[in-house]
Amino acid sequence: MDYTASLYATGAEIGLSIAGLILLLVSAWTGTRYARLVTILAAAALFGAMIFSGHLMAESTAELTGDAFGGLFRADAFAGFAKILIYAATIACLVVTPKFFDARRQYRSEYPVLMLFGAVGMGMMVSAVDLLTLYIGLELSSLASYVLASFARDDMRSSEAGLKYFILGALASGILLYGMSLVYGFAGSTNYLAIRIAFADGFGTGAMFGVVFVLAGLAFKVSAVPFHMWTPDVYEGAPTPVTAFFASAPKVAAVVVLARMALDPFAGQIASWQQIVIFAALASIVVGALGAIGQNSLKRVLAYSSINNVGFILIGLAAASAAGASAMLVYLAIYVPMTIGSFAALLMLRDEDGNALETFDDIAGLVTRRPAIAWSLLLLMFSLAGIPPLFGFWGKFVVFQAAVEADMIALAAIGIAASVIGAFYYLKFVKVMFFDDRTERGIATSPAGHWAVLILAAVIVSPLGYLLTQPLGAWADRAATSLFIPV
Amino acid sequence: MVDLSQYLPILLFLFIALGLSALFVFLPMGVSRLTGAHNPDAEKLSEYECGFPAFEDPRSQFDVRFYLIAILFIVFDLEAAFLFPWAVSLDLTGWPGWITMMIFLGELAVGLAYAWKVGALEWD
Repeated sequence: MDYTASLYATGAEIGLSIAGLILLLVSAWTGTRYARLVTILAAAALFGAMIFSGHLMAESTAELTGDAFGGLFRADAFAGFAKILIYAATIACLVVTPKFFDARRQYRSEYPVLMLFGAVGMGMMVSAVDLLTLYIGLELSSLASYVLASFARDDMRSSEAGLKYFILGALASGILLYGMSLVYGFAGSTNYLAIRIAFADGFGTGAMFGVVFVLAGLAFKVSAVPFHMWTPDVYEGAPTPVTAFFASAPKVAAVVVLARMALDPFAGQIASWQQIVIFAALASIVVGALGAIGQNSLKRVLAYSSINNVGFILIGLAAASAAGASAMLVYLAIYVPMTIGSFAALLMLRDEDGNALETFDDIAGLVTRRPAIAWSLLLLMFSLAGIPPLFGFWGKFVVFQAAVEADMIALAAIGIAASVIGAFYYLKFVKVMFFDDRTERGIATSPAGHWAVLILAAVIVSPLGYLLTQPLGAWADRAATSLFIPV
Repeated sequence: MVDLSQYLPILLFLFIALGLSALFVFLPMGVSRLTGAHNPDAEKLSEYECGFPAFEDPRSQFDVRFYLIAILFIVFDLEAAFLFPWAVSLDLTGWPGWITMMIFLGELAVGLAYAWKVGALEWD
């Protein structure tokens, strides 16, 4: 692959980097005056990158045509699918952000710039076919995330969230890096293909340590149990639009990286990582369901809900088949609008003084005060619980189908049984909003951007979403097949 | 007989999880027990302020100027560390190598311009 082709394959990331650098200078010279304009330009750049990724995905072939920059970067359909999701989620988060910070006069034009750099890092992660590209992409997105988590600087909880996220994120990166160094030591290369060939017929205990450390580091990033403990604290403390971002785009990127890692370099050793993924999947579903029960803060509940959902996504990965990977991608594509919609609804719930309504007590009787928000939340919560006429059910269905097809009936059965526990707190949302006595706190009117995101998400998860199953399934299948290339 | 050795990966995985969480809890406790006599009283547990009673909250905001200067120093220090091997291997890497380094320097220049403009380099 020559330089022109390499640059073309990395076009989305290069474009976003240039846009980020230019907007950084714009934000330095104009201060906070044009923060809104910078946000719009950043969203436009992300939109362009999304279109370009879709275009690359449409024309990419399933066969390995050679990787960009000498085997560091691969723009296949799998990465393309993930990038479209990531960029779309980032745009949605940018749309709901400015109003939130306006109330506190804290909005700065650095915010969209950080989001752009985070998106570049995530784009690199999902396309990485070399451990070093992966690490650089991961750090780029993580460093942007640490700053975003503590963006509300004079808020103690936001600073705490940023610090916690930084320390645990750095620890996870350290674990990942240590695992990578072991893998490199035993495989003799950092390239995925070379690792796969080196590990094709068995590896020793040392290399297994490396693989397990890599998986543990990535489990941190996807917040799978037993490495989930940072999630509720960080999600609760970070400003709500930032939480919406954390729960969507970086999660997609980390899950996709984990899938590519498991199914490309470690594909010869399925038995050794499969048990870890099965354990993490079941433990995430159970802990995510049980942990949320006693919570009163809505953001903490949604944090546990995201842990719970990661469990279902990992079931698709545990199947270790093309159908499983495809099911995982379909689930992710449904999970992103559900999560962003829920957080957008949370952002709209604020009283006339601009204070956020963040506990179950605050949303009691919401249906009599803000019926549209309450009904949208009802759709989103039923969808997250996987109740049939809604689109969330389809995600769970394809994931369990893939597990059953891979002869993992016990895994699927336990997963389905545990998903019933999770339904408790999703139903609690509905019960509190619809059947409890209303509180007297007024709710401020919401800006149009929030409405647009909420309604779009509600329409996607409503039964209308089933119109998408055909194209979504076809694209996910294409993406999953591109992952399973013979050596 | 079931071959239990095939479950080694998951044992390792759980060991990392348990080990890390135990480390965070017990390491500080253990170190403080081992390195001093354990005899706490109200005076010992209050924060130390040169013999005076503490008169302000230690969580106050403090100046980050030194930190900023140190970070900027590290950035340009690393840049120099990259430049030396790049300079001696330029005959091997050729034009692509030269252009790549120029892009890297350009990005650093953008960063410096940003830091300069927002006043990170001003001492007062």
